Order: sequence, then structure tokens, then C-alpha cells
Amino acid sequence: MAQPLTLDNVSLALEGRAILHGLTLTAQERRIGIVGRNGSGKSTLARVIAGLHAPDAGQVRLFGVDVARDRKAAIRTVGILFQNPDHQIIFPTVDEEIAFGLTQLGQSKAEAAEGVRAILQDFGKAHWQGAAVHPLSQGQKQLLCLMAILAMRPRLIVLDEPLSGLDIPTRMQLTRYLERVEAHLLHISHDPATLAGYDRVIWIADGRIAQDGPARDVLGAYIADMERLGGMDDISDLAG
Amino acid sequence: MISLTSPVETRAHRWPAGAKLAALCIATMALFALDSVAGQGAAFAVMLALYAAPGAVFLRSGVARLRMLWPFLAVIVIWHLATATPAQGAVIALRLVTAVGLANLVTMTTRLSDMVDVVRWLAAPLRRVGLNTRALELGIALVIRFTPKLAAKGAALGQAWRARSSRRPGWRIVLPFTLIALDDAEHVADALKARGGI
Amino acid sequence: MERNIALIALFAALIAALGLVPAVMLPFGVPITAQSLGVMLCGTVLGARRGTLAVLLFLLLVFLGLPLLSGGKGGLGVIVGPTGGFVIGFPAAAFVAGLITERWRRGPVALSAGVAAAAGGAVLYAFGIIGMSLVLDKTPLQSALLVTAFIPGDAIKAVIAGLVTSALYRARPRAVLSRA
Repeated sequence: MAQPLTLDNVSLALEGRAILHGLTLTAQERRIGIVGRNGSGKSTLARVIAGLHAPDAGQVRLFGVDVARDRKAAIRTVGILFQNPDHQIIFPTVDEEIAFGLTQLGQSKAEAAEGVRAILQDFGKAHWQGAAVHPLSQGQKQLLCLMAILAMRPRLIVLDEPLSGLDIPTRMQLTRYLERVEAHLLHISHDPATLAGYDRVIWIADGRIAQDGPARDVLGAYIADMERLGGMDDISDLAG
Repeated sequence: MISLTSPVETRAHRWPAGAKLAALCIATMALFALDSVAGQGAAFAVMLALYAAPGAVFLRSGVARLRMLWPFLAVIVIWHLATATPAQGAVIALRLVTAVGLANLVTMTTRLSDMVDVVRWLAAPLRRVGLNTRALELGIALVIRFTPKLAAKGAALGQAWRARSSRRPGWRIVLPFTLIALDDAEHVADALKARGGI
Repeated sequence: MERNIALIALFAALIAALGLVPAVMLPFGVPITAQSLGVMLCGTVLGARRGTLAVLLFLLLVFLGLPLLSGGKGGLGVIVGPTGGFVIGFPAAAFVAGLITERWRRGPVALSAGVAAAAGGAVLYAFGIIGMSLVLDKTPLQSALLVTAFIPGDAIKAVIAGLVTSALYRARPRAVLSRA
């Protein structure tokens, strides 16, 4: 069977700056974490794994699907939850937002409407049907994004720091919703606490894999290094 | 987003939107062909009766929407009194108010979703010749979704400006505002692509 | 394709959002609104084709009944009203502004975009004046007298459109499609 996630020597430069340098990795764990500092390239990596950016060199395959080229198969395979739900929500109402992905999969209007009803029911949010997006809170918008993705039943979901910016109770609630998800999760975060219970954690620094292994080992080393850097003043270095 | 559809539910809300639009087109053309004061006066009275039929609340909100015409009515009155052509002035003024009033009436009694259905129906022939009308529907949804968001961001920009300046933000705020629209567009493009594109 | 749709829709939303910016009053109590600046920017930033589509999308929503024109106006009444010509002239203005910015590539962006916006403004006035003379039953010259007070405001807006386009070109060269 094809591996859930394989990266083969993936490199990418954006606007003339190299962001990812020859990443190679294979993973089949259900809960994979990726840690790194701001600017380490982890958000770009998230977009590459979701197939939104095609790598300049190398290949990304999810369950055997070349997600950058075969977009039709890609949307059945991978979903992505962005950091800011406002960057993700396309439609003015809850129903339209969820139904969009379903019609993209080729479902009829009636099937999509049924799918919307089912996913809202599943999350105990049947009363959200027909609601406008604009007045929703940040946490509610993030949950809507998650439901819209789950309704499409992808096999792997990329989470690009969806919990940062949420208050503690909302974060805990959303985390509970994420724990229920049957699909594989690839969770990108700068916050080690978020990834503590994960099966495997990969630490990205300067677009390369700095360390890869069980959550406890990698996060321990990551925290130690972050605290070391915290004592220094690299905030003055300009990217170049 | 709040549309201009009247919250007062009238019988006309249930009439087919396409028929209302066709009737409006014919009525407007007739108004512009009609040159007698009596004819224009009668049309004006019919228009007022249509506004009055659903009740006082509807009439009041309808009349309030016509108030924006007063500077133009003032110009017409002054002009035609000065040139001693009051009959001609009356025809022009009555026609203006009746035409705008009837058009507003259709807007007030037609829901946004019904209007979008008419657009979809009108676009159907385009679909048959192979044009992608999905893009149009998607565009409508995106504008409705992002206008309040951009407006809120504009207000936040204004606050950020005032927090560090005693002067009004003025035109300088248009640049960051436009940058936000450009950057949001890149995010939306990603979001569309992530779920299968167009 | 996704990027085009997103840009067109976001600029249509930008015109609408600029309509919510309160009008600045010139002396003699003439309001200048930011909305027509948004129309010019559609042309000078997105180029003729996409800019025109953005303005058309905005107008479609206005006609469908959303209160997106400056001062919360909208619906079908605006077409037959005295200023309907200006509204109908919006897409033509964006097209001309876009075409000039696309074709005139020598010299600073601020200059070509500023001139383009001024030309777009002239087109807008042509439509507006014709519309007004039809509705008010006056000659075009008489109608033109009624709108002269607004010309200084629109001249200022053309300069702003030029400066904003050039600043955008420096900040996001890839996004200024009229020059890309």
C-alpha cells in the first residue's frame, strides 16, 4: 500500500529565496507534528504537502497521489486548515461554505445539502444551518473550516497552526474536536505543548529537518534550543 | 449582509422576480415615452398607491429612499420656473420620481436569492455556449463574504492611524486598504485551490 | 484562474468597502467619495479586462439590491435616477484607465496610472452627463454645468490613484497585473 506521506528531496524557492532545502521523509503515523520557529519554512511546507505549491524539485505523494499535479485526486486525499479562518472561508453562509467542497467533489446540490446537514448534526451544530459567517467568533469560524474539510472526507488533514490566536477554552474545545478526527493529522505549530501527545514530531529549522522522532525526544530538544535562543538576540538578524 | 429588500413581507414578495423585472422595464420605457402632465400624474398616483397598499411602515421606508432625489427636484423646479415652462418641469419631475420609485419597489419586494436566480437564468444561454457561469456565482458569493470583512479591516486601520496621529487618516489609508484586498485575494485563491479550484 | 476570480471579487469588495468611507467635504459643501477612486484602482491595478470585470461584478450586486453605493444606495432605482449615467459609466472608466496603464509602459507608474485615472474620470463624466441629460431632459451642456463642482475632487482622486498604484507596484510588483 502507498505510504500516507512521502517527500522525496523537496526543494522550493519563493520570490528568489530558498525556503525548503531537499526535504526527504516518509511517515505513516496517524498524528504527526511539525515544530519550528516563525520563518523556519513550516508554513510553506504545509502548503507544499497540501499541494497548493508545486515544489521546484522533488516530489510529494500522499497515499500515492501527486497532490501538486493531480488536483482532482488531491482534494479527496488532503485538506488544509489555515491559521486564520478568514483566509479560508469563501462564502457568506455556513451552508454554502460546507457545500462548496462537496459540489467540488462532484456531488449534486441535494447530496451536498444532505452532507451539510449530516456534518452539522455530527458536531451538534444543527442550529448553525443557514447562519451567516460574518458574526461568528474566531473559534466558531475555525470549527466551521474544520467541518467544511471533514465533510469532504480527506485521508490526511494538514493543520497550519489553527489553534494559535484562540483563547484557552476555545483551544481546548477545538483540540477535542481534532482528537475525534479519524483521518491522519499533520499538525504544524511553534508551540510544543500542542503536539505533546503526538505519535511523531519533526523539527524544521531553516527549511531542513533538524530532528525527527518520538514527540517526547524531539520536543525536549526543541524546547531546550528555543530557551537557549531566547537568551540571545537574533531578533536583529535580517533575512537575506 | 443587509440587502435593500423590505422586511415588511408583501404579496409582491411572492411574485416571480423575472416577471417583476420585465414589468419594470416596460413601465420605465412607457414613462419616458409619455409627455403629458396628466399621464405622468396618473402614473405617479399608481406608484404611490402601490407603496401604500402594504401599509404605513412600507410606505414610510419607501418614501425615505426617494429622499435622495430632492437636490435634483430642486434644480428642476428652479430651472423651469426661471424659464417659464412649468408643465415641462412637472413632467420631468414626476417621471423622475415615478421611475426611481417603481425600480425601488422591485428591489424592496424581491429577495437577493430570487434576484441571483434570475441572473442564473439569464446566464444559462452563456453556459450552453461553453462559458463558465460558476465563476460568476462564486464571484457574487465572494463579494458578499468579503465586503463586511474589508470594511471591518478598514475601520481597524483607521483606529491604528488615530492611535498614533491626531489627524484624520485621509487618502493615505487607501494604500494599506488596497494591499489588504490584494493579500486577501492571494489567500482566497489558495483556499479555492485547496478545495478543488474552478 | 482561482487567482483571477479572487482578485476580481476582492476588488469588487474593495469598491464597496471604499463606499463606506465617509465623504470628505470640499469647500461649498461638495462631497468627494472614495468609491470612484476604487473604480479607477480596479483599472490601474488589475488592468483593463480584470478591472472591468471587477466593476461589473460590483454593479451586478448593486442592481441585485445590495446597498453598496456611497451613502448606502443600491437597487434598481439608481439606474433610472439622475446619477445613473455615472454608475453605468463605472466599468467603461475602469476599462479606459486599465487600457492606458497597460499600454503606456515608459516612464514612472505614478504618471501613467495618474493620467489613466484622469482619462477614466473623463469617460465617467461623459456617461454621467449623458445620463443626466436624458433623465432631467436637459442638453448635455446644461447637465455638465450641474456637475462642474465635482471636477476638482475627481482630479485629486486621479492623482491619488496614480500615487497608490505606484506604491502598490513597489510593494507587490507581482500583484499589479496592469504592468505584469
